[in-house]
Amino acid sequence: MSDFVEQCRAEWKRLGVPEPVADEMAGDLATDIREAEADGISVGELLGSSASDPRAFAAAWATERGVVGMRRGQPSSRRGRLALVAFTGVTAIMLIIALLLLVTGEPKVALMTVRAARLGGTNALFAPPPGRVQASAAAPIEWILLFLALAGLAFSGWLWRSRWGRSQPPIAPA
Amino acid sequence: MRCMANESRRSQMLRGVLDLCLLAVLDEGPAYGYEMTRRLRDRGLGSVGEGSIYPLLGRLEREGLVDTYRAASNGGPPRKYYRPSSTGRLALALGVSEWRAARDEINAVLAPVKIEVAS
Repeated sequence: MSDFVEQCRAEWKRLGVPEPVADEMAGDLATDIREAEADGISVGELLGSSASDPRAFAAAWATERGVVGMRRGQPSSRRGRLALVAFTGVTAIMLIIALLLLVTGEPKVALMTVRAARLGGTNALFAPPPGRVQASAAAPIEWILLFLALAGLAFSGWLWRSRWGRSQPPIAPA
Repeated sequence: MRCMANESRRSQMLRGVLDLCLLAVLDEGPAYGYEMTRRLRDRGLGSVGEGSIYPLLGRLEREGLVDTYRAASNGGPPRKYYRPSSTGRLALALGVSEWRAARDEINAVLAPVKIEVAS
């Protein structure tokens, strides 16, 4: 393989281009250079001014193909995506629970407490005080849950947007 | 100095239409990298200026304007062949239309200019 192709390979490695992609590009380039030289065409004629700067040429090619940084970014990117999916799922469940609580319109906290007390028999150890039962209809737990869920969903939406923007390949100058 | 300026202008002009030139030669039939260079050369486009076709092919591939596949060339090693996708053909048609319109407008301005080269 020519020195030009070797320098391209080194640059692709530095840029984190996945090895199979770098192999493919290097192989194609080496074969093209050999074929051109057999036709009496030099690397300089084949590649224009890029022939004098193999690293810039390699970087431009990899950038335009959108393969820069794929190798280094993959594992952490996968973990990050999983975490984000989990976070989005939890906030979505929170939203559903909050909506269900709001739709039923009952003093849920108090009801749950009363049921717990009934399960325990007549002993009203866990029975809420009367004032609590009356106040629970307006208890803000549903609203707190709704607020947290909406805030969480908005945050995860922002994270998804920023991830999507990062995943777009950079546009190199033509 | 003037020669360098001319080369730069030519490069800049080429930069805007080289993707169309590649799609045009690919429209004749699938080709690998060097084969495209050869087709361009056969039509008088020997030098593609400051850049080369490889980054541009990468961009066309990323944008879905070309499809690729690997196949053995004439007795040689397997090569990566490119051919225009349906989106690429549409982009070629639109691009050629734009090029012709721009060429006519620029010609209308530049054609009357009398070229006098001082000796």
